[in-house]
Amino acid sequence: MIEVRGLTKSYGPHKAVDHISFSVRKGEVVGFLGPNGAGKTTTMRIITGFMPPTSGTASVAGFDVFENPLEVKRRIGYLPETPPLYGEMTVEDYLRFVARLKKVERSRIASLVERAIEKTQLGEVRKRLIQNLSKGYRQRVGISQALVSDPEVLILDEPTVGLDPRQVAEVRTLIAELKGHHTIILSTHILPEVQATCERIIIINRGKIVAEDSLESLGRRVSQSQAASRVFVRVGRASDDLKAQLQKIGGVRAVQLKDADRYEIDTDGSKEVAQAVAGVVVTSGVGLLELREEAFNLEDVFLKLTTSEESQLKEGALT
Amino acid sequence: MNGAFIIASKDLRNIFVSPLFYVVSGICSLIWFLLFSSRLADFIFQSSMQMMQSQGRESGGLPVHFYVIFPHLSMVNLIMIFAVSAFTMRLFTEEKRNRTFDLLLTAPVTSTEIVIGKLIAGVGTAWALLAIGALYPVSLAFFGAMDWGPFASSLLGLALLSAAYVAVGIFASSLTQSAVVAVVLALVFNVMLWFVGVLADRSSDATERTIIEHLNVGEHLQNFMKGNVSLSGVVFMLSLVFLFTFLTRQVVESARWR
Repeated sequence: MIEVRGLTKSYGPHKAVDHISFSVRKGEVVGFLGPNGAGKTTTMRIITGFMPPTSGTASVAGFDVFENPLEVKRRIGYLPETPPLYGEMTVEDYLRFVARLKKVERSRIASLVERAIEKTQLGEVRKRLIQNLSKGYRQRVGISQALVSDPEVLILDEPTVGLDPRQVAEVRTLIAELKGHHTIILSTHILPEVQATCERIIIINRGKIVAEDSLESLGRRVSQSQAASRVFVRVGRASDDLKAQLQKIGGVRAVQLKDADRYEIDTDGSKEVAQAVAGVVVTSGVGLLELREEAFNLEDVFLKLTTSEESQLKEGALT
Repeated sequence: MNGAFIIASKDLRNIFVSPLFYVVSGICSLIWFLLFSSRLADFIFQSSMQMMQSQGRESGGLPVHFYVIFPHLSMVNLIMIFAVSAFTMRLFTEEKRNRTFDLLLTAPVTSTEIVIGKLIAGVGTAWALLAIGALYPVSLAFFGAMDWGPFASSLLGLALLSAAYVAVGIFASSLTQSAVVAVVLALVFNVMLWFVGVLADRSSDATERTIIEHLNVGEHLQNFMKGNVSLSGVVFMLSLVFLFTFLTRQVVESARWR
């Protein structure tokens, strides 16, 4: 559905996007992840035909973004970082305007506007002026605007920014609902977001793709080099003796004492380790308050992938 | 071209919904009312004086077109320069400030359609204001003193000229993100159009003079007001509209490349 080949965008000597290539299949939900300024927005803007690349190509549904921008734009619903809203219009009028602008056939406009309003739950504010809406509602109008033309491809640039936790959850559910019907690319620097919504992640840093894979295999990739899970233990009183004992357990890779009473134990992921840890803590009599095991989450993957390169670069600069 | 009408209808709607149009046109009507009524009173006084002097002898009287309508329409023109700049300043700056320009640039419409849409909206607004200004002379028709020919040609000239002001204003608006800068630029450009005439007086060379006279907005408007609808006048005004619309299109298109 979306094909990106060797995409580069330079602003003077600075390369915002550096030779990026990836493809997205029809119906897929792909998360674009990276720290601020990594080049997510630039890449999305090129795909939407907002700006041309310095070199490389991008195509949507077989149409080249540069050769055939109008065909591409008809097939894309785009939510920019700042939702493009006309404050002096009502929600309904605005959505109708966007639908017309996106060249939706006349007969479908009314039903598509209804659908967009319903999907983003804007029913109660449909007759209100956009300028009087709260930030959360505005963001939803922005999402609604991207949906209203029923595009094949949805490109959402940080769709949950500025929403409260309940609304964030709603947007995620919405994206999950849209899965399959639309091909979706969404960008974020918030990790749980991709974990909750995406099937595949592209991690981008300093204009380059540093990782591209499904959630599980990304997790696995990191676990091969590092611990696969981490056991958190909180005890009544900590002791160095306990730390030494914990380190002796087979399968434990590292033990760290955090704060005064919490241990973080990196393990190889086998079930027995957590049991053994529990046993050691209980028999040592320090008073077990809490014990939980967590698989390594995306946050760790992300931090590892985006920071390791930076630290390498720093080291390189020093030597 | 469909995209142009969609954008135009959105902009027209937003202009007529916002209080700006009503405030500006209210102020304009007030100025026109004060000047028109004093002119008219003056005219009535003058013509009754003349009647007394001619003591019932048959005379043509003073031509109302030249004594009242002509100066009024010149005033309408002057005010249009300012009012049009005020309406057009927001057409692009607002889109850029609200980031809605992103929506237009990622919608399946061409840069030309965007600019033409803005032009239609701007011209529609300017002509609405012009219609208000034209009401004053029309009111004279109730007293049977109306000379429709020159009045119609003056209106045509003003309509074309205000379209040129709109094109200039939109161009200024496309250059910047700030409405204030846009309005100042628009005024400077529009006043510059008028200053071409000053050059004509300073020029000694005959050919140079004729060229400058052809570029003189004032000269062309005078002709329209006298009732001469000349092809060169119409073409001149339309080419001003075309020139600035073309320039705006280039600016919008270049925004896609930055």
